[in-house]
Amino acid sequence: MSAAVRAGWRIGAAAAALRGRAGRPLSQAAGEGGGAESGGGGSGSREAVERLVREHPVVVFMKGSPAQPLCGFSNAVVQILRLHGVEDYRAHDVLQDPDLRQGIKNYSNWPTIPQVYLNGEFVGGCDILLQMHQNGDLVEELKKLGIRSALLDAEKDQEKK
Amino acid sequence: GAGGPLARTIRAKLTAALQPTHLEVRDDSPRHGGPPGAETHFGVLVVSGRFAGLPLLQRHRLVHEALRAELAGPLHALQVIARTPQQWQSDPRAPPAPPCLGGSKRERRRG
Repeated sequence: MSAAVRAGWRIGAAAAALRGRAGRPLSQAAGEGGGAESGGGGSGSREAVERLVREHPVVVFMKGSPAQPLCGFSNAVVQILRLHGVEDYRAHDVLQDPDLRQGIKNYSNWPTIPQVYLNGEFVGGCDILLQMHQNGDLVEELKKLGIRSALLDAEKDQEKK
Repeated sequence: GAGGPLARTIRAKLTAALQPTHLEVRDDSPRHGGPPGAETHFGVLVVSGRFAGLPLLQRHRLVHEALRAELAGPLHALQVIARTPQQWQSDPRAPPAPPCLGGSKRERRRG
């Protein structure tokens, strides 16, 4: 089976199980033929990426998933968000979709994964998120999105003691 | 020693582009499953007056711009710490790199 060969070549059986017909990523199979006409229309196109970064206040492009990150830098992003109590966000595994993996780099003009978007705007990768976490900027940025960081509640608990 | 050829290239390009007052270039490849000297994952600590007044995103973009060819080629991952000389003086420490979780081993290596 060509799909099985491709699965073995790419990422593994788990990824193959998530793909639609002919081994193409589900997001690509669903996206073609609909929506605005402009170059490509695949899962890595500007239009497709734009839709993804806008679909939630917090969107992360990473390797693996929040439940199982496959890269230390991606895991760092997941852990930082978790510290702030941000568990509801959109995470996209670029290892499942090479078109998206390249498309997100083109979109942000940023060469690496993970990438963090707040309110549709590219904020940076793991290094930047870590520094924002350490200097208090992340709490502020989350507040602008109407998200109250869990760290603020942790501080309040401290004050009560 | 001075490191492998990519390490030397990274050092030279960052020096030329950003005139750093302090520069550390670290080959993290062995920590990501590569053999010693693989030169695929690097971390750079750049202290430069060029970063003054720039938000983190713009600082990192300057570093990426200097290493555009390498990032399009053999440089698979790049950790960046970008500080002004004042920031570095008041806190001369860099956070440790996150541990590898084997991601590179789970994908076909780019040719």
